[in-house]
Amino acid sequence: MAGTLTPFPTKAAPPRRATAESPVIKTVLVSLVLVFFGLFLVLPLFVIFHEAFSRGWEFILKTFEDRATVHSIQLTLITALIAVPLNTVFGLAAAWLVTRFKFPGRSLLISLIDLPLWISPVVGGLIYVLVFGRQGWLGPLFFPSDEMLQTSFLARFIYEHNIKVIFALPGIVLATTFVTFPFVARGLIPLMQAQGHKEEEAAMTLGASGWQIFTRVTLPKIKWGLIYGIILCNARAMGEFGAVSVVSGHIRNQTNTMPLHIEILYNEYPNTGAFVIAALLSVLALVTLFIKTYAEWRAERQLRAAAESAE
Amino acid sequence: MRNGGLNVSSALPQNPPNDFMSIQIRNISKNFGKFAALSDVSFDVEGGELVALLGPSGSGKTTLLRVVAGLEFAEKGQIFYNEKDVTQRSAYQRKAGFVFQHYALFQHLNVFENVAFGLRVRKRSERPPEPQIRARVEQLLETVQLKDLAKRLPVQLSGGQRQRIAFARALAIEPEVLLLDEPFGALDAKVRKELRHWLRRFHDTAHLTSLFVTHDQDEAFEVADRVVIIDKGRIQQIGTPDEVRNAPANTFVEEFLELRPVTTA
Repeated sequence: MAGTLTPFPTKAAPPRRATAESPVIKTVLVSLVLVFFGLFLVLPLFVIFHEAFSRGWEFILKTFEDRATVHSIQLTLITALIAVPLNTVFGLAAAWLVTRFKFPGRSLLISLIDLPLWISPVVGGLIYVLVFGRQGWLGPLFFPSDEMLQTSFLARFIYEHNIKVIFALPGIVLATTFVTFPFVARGLIPLMQAQGHKEEEAAMTLGASGWQIFTRVTLPKIKWGLIYGIILCNARAMGEFGAVSVVSGHIRNQTNTMPLHIEILYNEYPNTGAFVIAALLSVLALVTLFIKTYAEWRAERQLRAAAESAE
Repeated sequence: MRNGGLNVSSALPQNPPNDFMSIQIRNISKNFGKFAALSDVSFDVEGGELVALLGPSGSGKTTLLRVVAGLEFAEKGQIFYNEKDVTQRSAYQRKAGFVFQHYALFQHLNVFENVAFGLRVRKRSERPPEPQIRARVEQLLETVQLKDLAKRLPVQLSGGQRQRIAFARALAIEPEVLLLDEPFGALDAKVRKELRHWLRRFHDTAHLTSLFVTHDQDEAFEVADRVVIIDKGRIQQIGTPDEVRNAPANTFVEEFLELRPVTTA
């Protein structure tokens, strides 16, 4: 059967693009971009690190010995540790639903997934104040009157167990989850749409169960798109300011996350403490960017492979 | 050995052996929205037969194949395997071997693991031990003459090679029914011809009942024992290639067959 060995089609090199612009315009455009890039991206980053290191290592170490700083880092990590896995599961479920099934309201659902991106984070936080706050819909349960405590078992339970949402961890997690909801789903939907579900069907005819299909076929197929989404989601979760600011109440050692703590430190005395934590957040962002770029590259490769196998 | 699609009736099993799986399709109707993809389709595939579902694109032939496999469910009608009602069973319970039009190989697994997949996902109690899996996969790769490519990924293979891996993968679970959706549709003419002869030979040596979808009448007439011609979701004619060619049942069959000259070198 050697005759059946047709060579694998190789892609022709893309034709070289002829640039019509004159050299002068090109130079001006490139310089503009470079100035913009330097002014708005490189310079701020440089300032943050310059300020952070301006008083030397000892000061940096001292900043991290501060109890409030340590607590804010812990709170940020705990919040991300809850919000990111939640959104990973939500995102997977949502992407699977809208790419595998056709149902009325499907495109509306896709738009709704994007909603947190269009809404100001402050509004995202305010939603939860309006629901769980003192004046909110569920306010009487969380801030009960004496009468409420007498009559409502739920209000008594919440009071006795000292359960709080607003100005506490649950509120911060809720607001963060809301703001970061779209990232995993958005990373997966185009990928899963392009891939189709022929491989899953093949697995089914070979006798694989639903869980086996998910773990052995779907998950490897979407791996890099998923990682990309999770990383982006995590970066936003750790850096979120607006939504968290509304629900947290800024209680030091209790409800201050890293971004909120940076603001407080800076307002108290515009010294380097704020910059040290800001630098830490920036390092996190740079690492994220690095991993994101790699994941993006791999996800694109996966997408290309899907397109090739479907041709 | 058969010759150029002529004198086919001799290949029709006069007394099909009893231990072959037969398929009964009874009054199948299926709609996509308001579009009637299949309307009251009934026919039998006898045990050991190789039957072609022939029709233009959009005729409903692929939908019917998917209903037989359990990948799609009909609103009305029943599917029987060996007179046993499997209408409510999903694809993963029916375990018919299915070869997809675009192969649907697992992109992240190499050739060996693609073929081994159906054995590895079995319940622990039914799963063969590792050496047995290896032996079975190697034997299958030898059958499709791709043993040297076991470590390759699907993207590194040619179309014809991918198709043969798809065959091997479907056969690994030792199905008694083999369903093929335009198995040679994406290949160039030369490879098509080679593979269709190979399919016929393979079908004759293996313990299989096969149903395959094609829009290419040469392919259908050359390979199949019987041809089911389908259009607009309805069966137009069922018969051996000779019967259909010599006595087309209606104008559609006549036109459909005459549109493409029946010539093969």
